Amino acid sequence: MLLRIAYSKLETAKYIAHLDLTRVFERAMRRAKIPMAYSEGFNPHPKIAFGSALAVAVEGEREYVDVELRQDMDIREVLGRLQEQLPSGIRLLEGSVVETGSKALMAVLNAASYLIRVPMALPIGPERLAEGMDAWLKREHIPFARYSKKGRTDKDIRPWVKRLTGSVEGDAVIVELEVEVGNSGSVRPEEVLASLRDLENLPFDLEALQIKRTGIYVHYEGQHYSPLDPDHKRGFRSEAR
Amino acid sequence: MSNTTTHIREQVERFLPKVLKPSRYLGAEWNSIHKDWDETDVHMVFAFPDVYEVGMSHLGTRILYHLVNSLPRFACERVFAPWVDMEEKMRARGIPLYALESFRPIRDFDVLGFTLQYEMSFSNILNMLDLAGIPLRTNERGQEDPWVIAGGPCAYNPEPLAPFIDFALLGESEEQLPEVLNLVAEQKKNPVSRREFLLKVAQVQGVYVPEFYQVDYQEDGRIAGIIAEPGVPKMVEKAIVKDLDTAFFPTNPIVPYMEIVHDRMMLEVMRGCSRGCRFCQAGMIYRPVRERSPETLLRQTEELVRSTGYGEISLTSLSSGDYSCIQPVVQEIVTKYSPERVGVSLPSLRIDSFDVKLAQEVQKVRKSGLTFAPEAGTQRLRDVINKGVTEENLMEATEAAFKAGWSSIKLYFMIGLPTETQEDLEGIVHLAKNVANLGNKLGRRNVNVTVSTSSFVPKSHTPFQWEPQERQASLEAKQKYLKEKLRDRRIKYNYHDASTSFLEAVFAKGDRRLADVLEHAFRAGCRFDGWSEHFRYDVWLESFRELGIDPSFYAHRALDYDDVLPWNHLESGVKKRFLMQEHFQALQEARTLDCRHNDCTGCGVCPDRGVQIDLKG
Ligand code: SF4
Repeated sequence: MLLRIAYSKLETAKYIAHLDLTRVFERAMRRAKIPMAYSEGFNPHPKIAFGSALAVAVEGEREYVDVELRQDMDIREVLGRLQEQLPSGIRLLEGSVVETGSKALMAVLNAASYLIRVPMALPIGPERLAEGMDAWLKREHIPFARYSKKGRTDKDIRPWVKRLTGSVEGDAVIVELEVEVGNSGSVRPEEVLASLRDLENLPFDLEALQIKRTGIYVHYEGQHYSPLDPDHKRGFRSEAR
Repeated sequence: MSNTTTHIREQVERFLPKVLKPSRYLGAEWNSIHKDWDETDVHMVFAFPDVYEVGMSHLGTRILYHLVNSLPRFACERVFAPWVDMEEKMRARGIPLYALESFRPIRDFDVLGFTLQYEMSFSNILNMLDLAGIPLRTNERGQEDPWVIAGGPCAYNPEPLAPFIDFALLGESEEQLPEVLNLVAEQKKNPVSRREFLLKVAQVQGVYVPEFYQVDYQEDGRIAGIIAEPGVPKMVEKAIVKDLDTAFFPTNPIVPYMEIVHDRMMLEVMRGCSRGCRFCQAGMIYRPVRERSPETLLRQTEELVRSTGYGEISLTSLSSGDYSCIQPVVQEIVTKYSPERVGVSLPSLRIDSFDVKLAQEVQKVRKSGLTFAPEAGTQRLRDVINKGVTEENLMEATEAAFKAGWSSIKLYFMIGLPTETQEDLEGIVHLAKNVANLGNKLGRRNVNVTVSTSSFVPKSHTPFQWEPQERQASLEAKQKYLKEKLRDRRIKYNYHDASTSFLEAVFAKGDRRLADVLEHAFRAGCRFDGWSEHFRYDVWLESFRELGIDPSFYAHRALDYDDVLPWNHLESGVKKRFLMQEHFQALQEARTLDCRHNDCTGCGVCPDRGVQIDLKG
């Protein structure tokens, strides 16, 4: 039985690294005596698959995970038993059975929204903020340098950004951001803010960013679907045509 | 006070996203215990002077954390050495070292207990004291500072740390530590002077208060004598748990979120090892052998699986293959838990008791390489060190392993052992090649033999404590020789850095005069000496030079039986007479058999301490 579960990852749970999350769920399931399905082979691993990774220290209000069980169980019982064994900060929101062989979360989720609180190094007014954001959005290409062990790569981050708004709240700016997530990657919220700071001279103090991912979706024809919503598959059919 | 803790938490959370592995510093793991500060009488913080993932893997730490917390009057929290990036950020913002559970400054605790697992962590102890804002030396501390105590294997010679610790705990702490904490509780209620308190603590079995022992030196640098003040034991003897089967063992250990070094359940099947390898300190200081019963172990397994959810259980001890009920216990666990995908692992497999069926049982869930430790290349040298394995044993064990499908074998050896000659080095090459050839002969493709050598470090309380360490240049020449001779695409050769082993020997056999060197090196920036990327040998050498102390005096000098050793007044229960006899036997290339299956060989611990070997099978 394949279960798709929506959960939130808040407070100190935001420090649990994405790579560690499979283990956290596997152990919680074993404590809860929920029979997981395992892969074949020398090193069998539990069939647990997440949607797109959440960076360390970023909270997630609604994330998804697929878990395959060895036998059918009542979904409410699974959620109840599992919840008791999860670290505080991870709350299960809802779950539903999906057909085995359904497309993986990674393959269907293609949009994400963020809420960001960024303190200002110098106070600015709402007009100045809106001006900067508009100017940024009007740019066609926005190259951004990423550094890795292999060296520097420049990529255009503009195409990934779908929506960007901001408001001033005390000595901080609250940014709402919507981005596209795809197989070829995406843009990280802190990259958008760094680019805004550098290109539009917005005085953001990036040291003390607080980022929350408010949702991650299947985006199709201007609509956001939850991967728990059977309608989310409409997009695939039309793609196939 | 709670202001301080919220303040620390807020500050830390600000930069936590920017440090490596923030999970190291949060303390809200599954099964961690958060006790109410005001509801408990004594607050202890258990300190492991290395990074989180190493410290959390240590069984003793797990046992004592839960032991102290199992007692209603006491609260125990944890602290580890912050990794260098975290330290930098803490220092830059003036954040003191804090305990993981409550984010309370370490300074606020009554007792700060360090575990001494290896000498190369000593500089981290000073760094942690400094980060905590606690004066390094006991004579600079005030009443408000915690008692700084230390236990673990290096507490059998804590002399290089003498000025920094109030007292050390020798031996097994399951009974001793609660007794000490009771005295601390009493002291908080009805305080007496520091001296009076320490005099009381010194009466507890295995407690050693360095300042009550006066050490005098001769002109040539050797120790003239160690004199105990009146009212404290002349000989401090370790504490022993008589009945391991009923001793405290935590079945609800903390399950970290991040991956740690030994990321699995640990089941302590027995304590002690009487194989009698003459270089091995653990084999001497944890005597006699005491086992847990299969019933106890199976009950603990069930509790561990339910409380942790781990998918692997390791049957740990110094030599789990020697546990008398190993077969039935492994069988039972595998049968009962493999449907839940819980695998069993054994950390060490003996060559002479290697049982391929057992190994297969253990590997049912996970496949990995097999490790054997012949330790020396020839029968002669293996007799010298009393490692009771033969080449035949090794070939039989590896044959069985190859036939059962393994193709990777790891072999551990030591170089620089007493009496070692060229022939013994050739022996290592010969064994490695024979194993690889055997694998090919048996039709294994991708045969893969990894040879690792460490350099012999003479340790206190062993028959080899009087032996010198071989000089670095010649150890390095041996490593080079092996590297050349083991050039073979089926064989991989690893070796330990000889300068690290040298410092390890200096501190393992060191005395109080090294404390100044340690402090100097710490102030000059030494920490994480066990991590090659942070080990600064030049700074250490500079510190020795600066203070006019010759490290070679400690590592390279052959000691005399009449010499007063820095640890002369500290006893593991194994008598000096026995160690001398064993040293003599070593030089005669004569074996001493395991007292578990043969006659008592007279090490002295059983009759003197009213304990006995306790086997369950
Ligand atoms: S006293 Fe005898 S039986 Fe006991 S541990 Fe020592 S050698 Fe073995």
